[in-house]
Amino acid sequence: MNLAFYPGCSLEGMANDYERSITAVFDKLDVKLVEIDDWTCCGATAAHSLSETMAVLLPAKNLAAAEKMGLDIVSPCANCFNRLTYSRKMILKNIYDVPWKVTGKTKIYDMTRFLAQPHMIDQIKQKVLMPLEGLRLVSYYGCQMVRPPKITGFTDYENPQTLDKIAVALGAISLDWSYKATCCGASIGIGRRDIQFNLSTRLIKKAHQAGAEAIIVSCPLCQSNLDMVQNEKGMPKIPVFYFTEMMRLAFEGEKCSIQNFRMHLTDPGRLLREKGLVK
Amino acid sequence: MKPAREKTDLDVPDQLSGPRRIIGDRGDHFLRKVEGETGADISACYQCERCTNACPVSAYMDVNPHQVIRYVQLGWREELLRTTTIWVCLSCEMCTTYCPNNVDVAKTINHLRNMAFLSKVVPAEKILAVFHKTFVNELQRFGRVNEFWLMGSLNRHPDVLKEKIKTGALKEELVLGFEMFRKGKLKLLPHRCNEMKKIREICRK
Amino acid sequence: MIPLKNKPVGKVMVIGGGIGGIQAALDLADTGFYVYLADKSHSVGGTMAQLDKTFPTNDCSTCIFSPKLVEAAGHPNIRIMTSCELMNLDGVPGHFTAHVRRMPRYINMDKCIACGQCAEKCPKKVPDAFNTELGMRKAAYIPFPQAVPLKYALDPDQCLYLTKKKCGLCKKICPVGAVEFDQKVENFTLEVGAVILSAGFELALTKEHGEYGFGRYRNVVTSLQYERMLSATGPYGGHLQRPSDGKSPKRIAWIQCVMSRDISKNRPFCSSVCCMHAAKQAVLTRSHLPESETVIYFMDIRAHGKGFDEYIERATFQHQVQYKRSMISQLYVNPQSENLVVETFDHHINGTVEEEYDLVVLSSGFQPSKGWKNLADRLNIHLNPYGFACGDFDEPVSTSRPGVYVCGVLESPKDIPETVIQAGAAAAEVSGLLSEARMLPAPDENQGADNQIEETPETGQEIRVGVFVCHCGSNIAGVVDIPTLLSAIQRNNDVTFAQDFMFTCSAETQDRLAQTIKAHHLNRVVIAACSPKTHEPLFQKTLEQAGLNPYLMDMANIRNQCSWVHGKDTKKATAKALELIKAAVARAKNLEPLEADTYKIVNDSLVIGGGLAGMTAALTMAKQGFHVHLVEKTGQLGGFAVKLTHTLEGHSPPKLVRMLEDRVRSNPNITLYLNSELSEHSGYIGAFNGIIINAETRHEISYGTVVVASGGTAYQAGEFRYGQDERVVTQVELAERLRRDPQWPRQLKNVVMIQCVGSRNETFAYCSRVCCSAAVKNAIALKDINPDIQVVILYRDLRTFGFKELYYLEARRKGVLFFRFIPDEAPVVYDDHGQLVVDFTDRSSHQEFRITPDIVTLSTGIRPALDNEKLARLLKLSRTPEGFFMEAHVKLRPVEFPTAGIFLAGLAHSPRFADEAVAMAKCAAQQAIKVLCQDKMKTSPTYAVVDPDLCTACLACVRICPFGAPFINKEGISEIVPAKCQGCGMCPSECPARAITLRHSTDQQTVAEINALLDKIEF
Repeated sequence: MNLAFYPGCSLEGMANDYERSITAVFDKLDVKLVEIDDWTCCGATAAHSLSETMAVLLPAKNLAAAEKMGLDIVSPCANCFNRLTYSRKMILKNIYDVPWKVTGKTKIYDMTRFLAQPHMIDQIKQKVLMPLEGLRLVSYYGCQMVRPPKITGFTDYENPQTLDKIAVALGAISLDWSYKATCCGASIGIGRRDIQFNLSTRLIKKAHQAGAEAIIVSCPLCQSNLDMVQNEKGMPKIPVFYFTEMMRLAFEGEKCSIQNFRMHLTDPGRLLREKGLVK
Repeated sequence: MKPAREKTDLDVPDQLSGPRRIIGDRGDHFLRKVEGETGADISACYQCERCTNACPVSAYMDVNPHQVIRYVQLGWREELLRTTTIWVCLSCEMCTTYCPNNVDVAKTINHLRNMAFLSKVVPAEKILAVFHKTFVNELQRFGRVNEFWLMGSLNRHPDVLKEKIKTGALKEELVLGFEMFRKGKLKLLPHRCNEMKKIREICRK
Repeated sequence: MIPLKNKPVGKVMVIGGGIGGIQAALDLADTGFYVYLADKSHSVGGTMAQLDKTFPTNDCSTCIFSPKLVEAAGHPNIRIMTSCELMNLDGVPGHFTAHVRRMPRYINMDKCIACGQCAEKCPKKVPDAFNTELGMRKAAYIPFPQAVPLKYALDPDQCLYLTKKKCGLCKKICPVGAVEFDQKVENFTLEVGAVILSAGFELALTKEHGEYGFGRYRNVVTSLQYERMLSATGPYGGHLQRPSDGKSPKRIAWIQCVMSRDISKNRPFCSSVCCMHAAKQAVLTRSHLPESETVIYFMDIRAHGKGFDEYIERATFQHQVQYKRSMISQLYVNPQSENLVVETFDHHINGTVEEEYDLVVLSSGFQPSKGWKNLADRLNIHLNPYGFACGDFDEPVSTSRPGVYVCGVLESPKDIPETVIQAGAAAAEVSGLLSEARMLPAPDENQGADNQIEETPETGQEIRVGVFVCHCGSNIAGVVDIPTLLSAIQRNNDVTFAQDFMFTCSAETQDRLAQTIKAHHLNRVVIAACSPKTHEPLFQKTLEQAGLNPYLMDMANIRNQCSWVHGKDTKKATAKALELIKAAVARAKNLEPLEADTYKIVNDSLVIGGGLAGMTAALTMAKQGFHVHLVEKTGQLGGFAVKLTHTLEGHSPPKLVRMLEDRVRSNPNITLYLNSELSEHSGYIGAFNGIIINAETRHEISYGTVVVASGGTAYQAGEFRYGQDERVVTQVELAERLRRDPQWPRQLKNVVMIQCVGSRNETFAYCSRVCCSAAVKNAIALKDINPDIQVVILYRDLRTFGFKELYYLEARRKGVLFFRFIPDEAPVVYDDHGQLVVDFTDRSSHQEFRITPDIVTLSTGIRPALDNEKLARLLKLSRTPEGFFMEAHVKLRPVEFPTAGIFLAGLAHSPRFADEAVAMAKCAAQQAIKVLCQDKMKTSPTYAVVDPDLCTACLACVRICPFGAPFINKEGISEIVPAKCQGCGMCPSECPARAITLRHSTDQQTVAEINALLDKIEF
């Protein structure tokens, strides 16, 4: 099975490690990712802040390209997923003059939901070489993947399950907590670091209170915000992993090098060694 | 004995500020315009404050989400465009998700942000306003947005630079930037897409 | 006699055994119809059986409901059919064929003796639906301890034998061979004349909705679960605890409007009762756990019923229930304590506040019960988009199918009294439809006459006292040490036999009680339980069933007067209970059998008031063949409704008035007296006499019943420049102007409406119920004519309950602006150089506003009619402090007075909508018909008698009696009319010659009781 892969801008830069882990994980699965050729930026928050029309039209090129490929789209980034889905919904209302032809025939998955389908979970379980036993995780979904439910299709928007299911399939302990979809501050830190700091540190504290040893995420911006904020004094140190990094670790077992985690600001080395997951 | 009647939370008069406001004759002109442009059912609001309770940043807003809806109903355009609210809104969609009346609060606030860009009102959060513009400018240059170049362009904006030097944010950012570079989180050369003409056309809409 | 071809069938099918169904069944059964009372479940009782206490009196729900259940179970005209569902209905009104399906119970009901051994031995535990899945029950079970009928059942989805052919233990151990695994579904038909639907409701919130973490967080419960948690028969035995860890909660929050008033959940309507039941639950919590803190998060407090606002006041100021006007978005959990965290934005500190609660109760909205939609489809009954079978304005309990009626929450969300009213109204409709088929038992039928035991003290037989002690669930047994008490009683030489029961009042216990009395040849009975006020009639019936004279019984109130007030001291409470019982035993030994007299009934009725309610009541009785004297003090029929234009829903009360007036004037069974009033009134139920006067004439009339429908009056405002500025009008005046001059709003730019004028204030505490809807209606009308008008409504709580909420939404969508104010910041209306100005403060935007309207409209409330006081004195009726008439019981007897034979309807009771007044009038008429359709009436045997040898005709008794029962007879001595005497005991105490004895409260009996109380108690 093939999927049209829409990595999004962050995976080329800050979240380069996310992309590498995705590649490694899909190498082992029966699903092949075919990157959408010459994809362009979805517009993110900035585009819709400036103009609704711009926000609707920018993702169209990528949607059209995927349709040409005849493949369903999978997006690892929460915001990209949200913008693509929203754009498609609005384009199909036929009130916009769209430069590319979009018919809406392909599905758009956020990567977690694709992988949390029952048959994929079965496959993941089969591929696990080293179960992440004893590792206590909380799943953090952020906003854009789950809200607004009418766009994202998450009916359990307060208590989404996709990451939790994957974590359990990897053999980890998935803890319930109430802040799965509480905003980390997104890009507000650009102009208001105080707000971003308060929102992100609160999440770290709540994760700590829930007994988490690590957080798994699927959004580059969330990862960056939660990872970065732990530099501050007095903060509990909780590594923030892309969920695919954890999949890779479980799939590759001893072969997975600690070097794969070098881009993390909050060092995951100690935890992983403690749990006997890396040497 | 009947206990003394104390004031409860229900009937404590407010500390009000500002002058008494006049409600004019044709208050819903602006309301209908915004409703038409956004498709948001703004008039359905019954002021239950669930949006404001849901909002993670209401404490940083001068006008809370439920009040934004009320202000739109009253046609207070200028005031809304001047708020910090429209800039600190995270588009996290909590308000919209939890509204019992299906009012698309987030879309309404976003629309006000759109209006603010088109107006002459000075944005209450300059850096955030500049950031959005810079982001789209970068998008227009290459088709994709490179974080390294984005931050560079943003910091070259005189207003931003001045502000960041004043608050010391620039120094912090440089330290963090170096750390990121060291960790390999920064891609120095941007990718350039085809069909840039169409992209730029869109960005003018 | 061969029945006439067109004579309808005098049998009725009532679907649903909740309070609505039970009430409808009783109202029909007592008026000569045979009722099949069908319920899908294995017991009747409905939701009311699950409730702990009821607002606003905090009466124990079981205690007030149980007597009704027992009455229905024992009624010769009612057949309770559990596990039965109506599948289809053929035919026409008066001649329906009902197709009924009975699901197997797997227990033979004729054999089952409810010994409980099957449940005890059953190995399969399942979540207990009656206890809202907070507790467990077995697969062999009774739905709840007071179930009617008290017969076990097997759960076919859980029973190991029925699912897997394993186990079968219950069949082996059942001592009477009642277990029948091979029971099959039965289909049968019944011939009925009409059907009443009262299938009730369920909570709309399910675990799948995920709202507020229900189903995810263990300490988040629904309002119905909390009701079970409070209940003595609930999963925690009435000791409030958290589901997660069993600790008693200290901080408890309620969240209102869950799955109500929520368009996003497709439930845009209001469920009407949640505001009150949350207040009640909070008050009860504070009395269970005085250390607890209770917080209610809400949007509007909808306390639109009689005495409700006063209850909220009490909750707030007396019980320190905290109200926070804020709609919570979601709940967070503290992972260590499993406490719930509520985040709200606090305007006073301009920041978000986190508050932790041990327990959160979600006040979930209602929806019609599962399967109702299918039944409605099968019966071809039209439903509104939310699945309710809403009645019409002029026929509030009719459905789209003639001959099929509806009542209760199924019609629209409502509380218990409104359900009882609709049940009575539905019964009245059926009774009218089928009145030709009314069958009444022969007047002197005497049940159990053949086994009458002629044992009286006079016959010299041995006195054998039996004592029966009630646990009342844990109401008594939770405090009083029953085994110790019982053995102490058994040691008492005066007592022949003593036994205890879990619920002595339950229907099944009555049979056991009667059998025990017979088996032990008891001839005096003491019931140690609750108050004789509520339960004496029930146990008297049981004595009759056992062949004893009903007056050979006494009650010791060891609940209200002992366990409830000495909850902390088991030892002393037990000792006191024993003392009370000893006194009752002493009294019982001196009791004498008493016989009732009978007298002929006047089959005419008097209706006071010619408004909507009065005319409806008169027509309801006239239709069924009873003559009615309808008295109206003005020269016009229609009352309050004449002045109205249309309702929120678009109906015209004046049109209804005209239609009713035509029918009243042309009905030969109605004598109409305009410009008249009742000037004298005497007599008693079934035999009243009165004089109706007008300017010229006087009519002496006799009547068996009275319906008081004397109406209400509009509040005459003096505030907000009303009366001094013609631009300030009332809602009624505005509506009238709109009717007269529909183009007028085109000239208007600005209209302000002010709510709660003359209501909900220091001098007049209650809510007028209708004003919010009136304002919304007029606002919509203004906007419809001229969408550019700025309509501003200043309100305190918007009380558009039920489906009226949809119009509130419509008004908002039309651009009407609603601003909330608080009494301390009341709006100010003044004239500024000829310009009308309104200044006010909005509580949502926290801004002060000024508006210069063309028109200010005041929502002035409804006040009691001025004549109420006079009428109350004439009829000897009591009134509320505000001046409305006081009903016999706010929950279950809303249209009755304590004085028998007099009934209440319409605005005379409390402010209400026209359709509600119509339903109430029909219900009141039906209660009156219970009397009118009889031939003869029994008097109460407990009246006072004068010893002619001792009487000095001093007139002391004549003066003191509130009921006018004594008079000086031809012989010149006092005589007391038994039918009038209420047995209050005032004249015997007052009589200086000690010539008067109150039967059943003789000196001898009372002295014996006192002496017993003064005796030393031995344990």
